Amino acid sequence: MNLVDISELTVSFRQHEGLVQAVRGISLRVDAGESVGIVGESGSGKSVTCMAMLRLLREPPARITAGKFEIAGTDILRADNRTLASLRGRVAAMVFQDPMTAFDPVFTIGHQIIETIRTHRNVSKAEARAEAESLLRRVEIKQAKDVLGYYPHQLSGGMLQRAMIAMALSCRPQILLADEPTTALDVTIQAQILQLIKELQAEFGMSLIMVTHDLGVIAETVDRVVVMYGGRVMEQGPVEAIFDDPRHPYTQALLRSIPGHAGGRRRLTEIKGASPNPANPPTGCPFHPRCAAAESACRESMPVMVAVGARHDAACWRLQ
Amino acid sequence: MILYILRRLVSIAVTFFVVSVLVFLMMHSVPGGPFDGNDMPLSAAVRAKLMAQLGLDQPLHVQYFNYMAGVLRLDFGVPYQSPGETVIGLLSRAWLPSLVLGGLGVLIGAPIGILLGMAAALKRNSWMDYLASGLATLGLTVPVFVISMGLILIFAVWLNWLPASGWGKPERWILPIIAFAAIPLATYARYTRSAMLDTLNKPFVTVLRAKGLSERRIIFQHVLRNSAIPMVTVFLPMFIGTATGSIFVEAMFRVPGLGSYFVSSIQSRDYPLEMALVLMVTLMFCFAYLISDILYALLNPRIRTGGRR
Repeated sequence: MNLVDISELTVSFRQHEGLVQAVRGISLRVDAGESVGIVGESGSGKSVTCMAMLRLLREPPARITAGKFEIAGTDILRADNRTLASLRGRVAAMVFQDPMTAFDPVFTIGHQIIETIRTHRNVSKAEARAEAESLLRRVEIKQAKDVLGYYPHQLSGGMLQRAMIAMALSCRPQILLADEPTTALDVTIQAQILQLIKELQAEFGMSLIMVTHDLGVIAETVDRVVVMYGGRVMEQGPVEAIFDDPRHPYTQALLRSIPGHAGGRRRLTEIKGASPNPANPPTGCPFHPRCAAAESACRESMPVMVAVGARHDAACWRLQ
Repeated sequence: MILYILRRLVSIAVTFFVVSVLVFLMMHSVPGGPFDGNDMPLSAAVRAKLMAQLGLDQPLHVQYFNYMAGVLRLDFGVPYQSPGETVIGLLSRAWLPSLVLGGLGVLIGAPIGILLGMAAALKRNSWMDYLASGLATLGLTVPVFVISMGLILIFAVWLNWLPASGWGKPERWILPIIAFAAIPLATYARYTRSAMLDTLNKPFVTVLRAKGLSERRIIFQHVLRNSAIPMVTVFLPMFIGTATGSIFVEAMFRVPGLGSYFVSSIQSRDYPLEMALVLMVTLMFCFAYLISDILYALLNPRIRTGGRR
């Protein structure tokens, strides 16, 4: 059974200038224990997809539709608030982008982890406290006991991100959603945090969904990659296939725009133009205005996903 | 923290001194004196004698030090307009209606305002929100004497349910208290709404939801606590309005409170009473701000812990 089973997901926002379509019909399946990276530029719909999975967007203005939208067998679209609350943090937990603003400033770190544990598990305060301490130790926070009594402003961003990971793990979730977990951190800390997430994923046997704009992060942490652009999935496949044999022109362009890949010294090539305006998306394939290989078919309709290798699919007219 | 409070107490003493000098100088720089009234012409000799009796013939700085020496012994002198009692006696007599009116006004208006503001923030853009915002705008823009007249017109004249003015019996308190409560109600409704909306938009609220906390728990434990921090800073100073802000309400409903003395002491050059009133309000403001700053620090760990561990 797929732990995450989503098909034809759309998310739109009602705004002054009209309906903004952030996610325009994507499908996503994640197996138990699998790690999947969702990669894309800002505005590609990757973070919105992640937030929609726990129904964390305010509805309205957000509006979600889907053919199928299940997490661990629960129909997320039709679940009531109670069901959603019991799923959040327990079945699927989330690590957010900016650890500095993710904690309530007037409560201690310990309080906020213990509160999470006691929301979902019937344990005493003392047991929860001991558990919180051992979790902090597990995410390599020294003096874990003291840190329990600290307020968020007394810790650095890296420490807070570790604490947020500990908090996310506190109810042994089956899925960890990480929304740009290293973007707000110093470069020196980023690698440590990624390594930690990877280790913990294996140790806890969780599925991991890592949302990022950073291909380097993807390469280091996940088994499978989903490339999003303009609210649609352009290409998906095993991480080696995506990096070594990208088939979609967008993925190819994206890889050419990052340094240190494909070896040797070469000029980086930027992708000309800007990502599409979600309030007024281009017809057909959203990438066609920026695509060097665009044909007339690309302007008319969106191509379907076709298999281009083992578990490797892409949506491009040139591959049909 | 103790050092901080001590520092603040010193600064209150300085403020008190500066205000007393300024007010004393301003008071005496207004032309005229207590015995210039045309309705009771006094002979020059009687007038000189009275002035000497009250010490008003001495140089200004001597008068100031004499008065302040009394203040330090809690002796504020004798009011010229009512020589049979002391200033302290007059104030403690007039204080009670003002305290009841203002205190009950704030204690009734503030909680209703807070509840309205909360409801407005939680049900944004609903009829509740529009009602609360409408009431708040009315309460803040319509002058209190217009509200008072409206209340008198509706409940005393048309409906004849309540007496139009006076103070003696508790049913006479109702209309002035409602009129007085309008301002704390409106201020609190606006303040609570914006403080709650501000907190609700913080990223940590999304994180709390993502942890699986119930909406009720998020609101009552986290959002309210965070919103309370800016709210305590206006709560105590608002009580001071009970002494000064009730002037209009007291006049409209003929409440025998402190309000009228603020005006009459200036008009009749009643120096001791005027000084006493200003110094009292100064001290009340100083201490209200001190207490709300202490509360602010207690509620806010970023200040309490000094930003360092």
